[in-house]
Amino acid sequence: MADAAVAGGLHRVETVMGIPVGVDVRDDGVDPAALDRVFAHLRDADDAFSPYRAASDVSRLDAGTLAPAGTRPDVRAVLARCERLRRTTGGWFDVRATGRLDPSGYVKGWAVDGAVAILRAAGARNLCVHAGGDVRVLGERAPGLRWRIGVQHPGERDRLAAVLHAPREGLAVATSGAYERGAHIVDPHTGRRPGGVLSVTVAGPELGTADAYATAAFAMGTDGPAWTAALGPYAALTILAPGRMLSTPGMDALRAV
Amino acid sequence: MDAGDLARRAAPLAIATAGVAALLHSVRARPEPLPPDASVPKIEAGPTTKTIHGVSTRRPTAKGRVRSGLSDAFTTPFSFIQVRVTFTGRELTRVETVEMTGTGARTQAINERAEPRLRAEALRAGNADVDVVTGATYTSQSYRKALQSAIDKARHG
Repeated sequence: MADAAVAGGLHRVETVMGIPVGVDVRDDGVDPAALDRVFAHLRDADDAFSPYRAASDVSRLDAGTLAPAGTRPDVRAVLARCERLRRTTGGWFDVRATGRLDPSGYVKGWAVDGAVAILRAAGARNLCVHAGGDVRVLGERAPGLRWRIGVQHPGERDRLAAVLHAPREGLAVATSGAYERGAHIVDPHTGRRPGGVLSVTVAGPELGTADAYATAAFAMGTDGPAWTAALGPYAALTILAPGRMLSTPGMDALRAV
Repeated sequence: MDAGDLARRAAPLAIATAGVAALLHSVRARPEPLPPDASVPKIEAGPTTKTIHGVSTRRPTAKGRVRSGLSDAFTTPFSFIQVRVTFTGRELTRVETVEMTGTGARTQAINERAEPRLRAEALRAGNADVDVVTGATYTSQSYRKALQSAIDKARHG
């Protein structure tokens, strides 16, 4: 698709991994070719990690037609990271929760983190990348103005439950919930859907990790909020019901204007 | 029964038409028993198609250059969707469903209810006082894709 110049910046939306991915760079003078590299990187990640593509490393690993030692180094690194996340979440984030290997819950965020690294290397310092509800911002939307990230209201499509104001050094925000894709998260221990929670939003330095934490906390159900209180640099907002939210102190700070 | 009620009742059927999948999500969050709905027609023998067209506008708060963009055409197994948007400056001031064509009576009934709602939402969301929204993963939503395609072209133009 075409690139669009927005007030000197760069903007492009493409569908990758079956979801719309948007890149919005607000700096002047960034080479538009960086956008080509970003989307090539995202498609390459999809090729390697998609559980829906029979030829992907992940599908072949799962089918046993590819030995772990024969996978790409980045696939090995991601799966090792997912295994560490499985342990730090007490088994609540598990790439085999559905019975087959599916690291999508980490990979989408990880791929966006990689996209941001590509844009930084190209000189971008003020940018926003979003992928199907996952968000990563850096710098400011305009000089002196912070990026504003709306948290989707789980009941009303056109309303927001909260607005986060990202610090200049950047922020990654991921949400897991029951209201968009239905039962795409299951409790790894029982194979069932979690109950009692509509959505969990996690914000912190890295999107892949934020995504995994949001997935884990959502799967925990009503035990999730207490667990999210101890996630170090990651803050969390749990929506229990319309109008009923639990927010960690770090999230309260992001919500304050 | 207002349009919202109609949309909520029709929504479970929207699984069949990816083009209106957005509607479904607002329903999942508010589960309620579905009464028999006589207003949803039974699927007819033999394919029929019907085209919906609609426009939503919003008064701009400031003067600015007016730019429009026409989306690519997006298709689902049941529908064909194309959208045009207009910006005044940086504000989204007009969303037009150029064409939303559904095959089969049931799809048409769902589309007719969903289309005005999706269009109005797009206009509101395009002017929300935030830069980006975090939410649970979107499924491929043809209306949304068409909208983004149109926005992209308007910004380019």
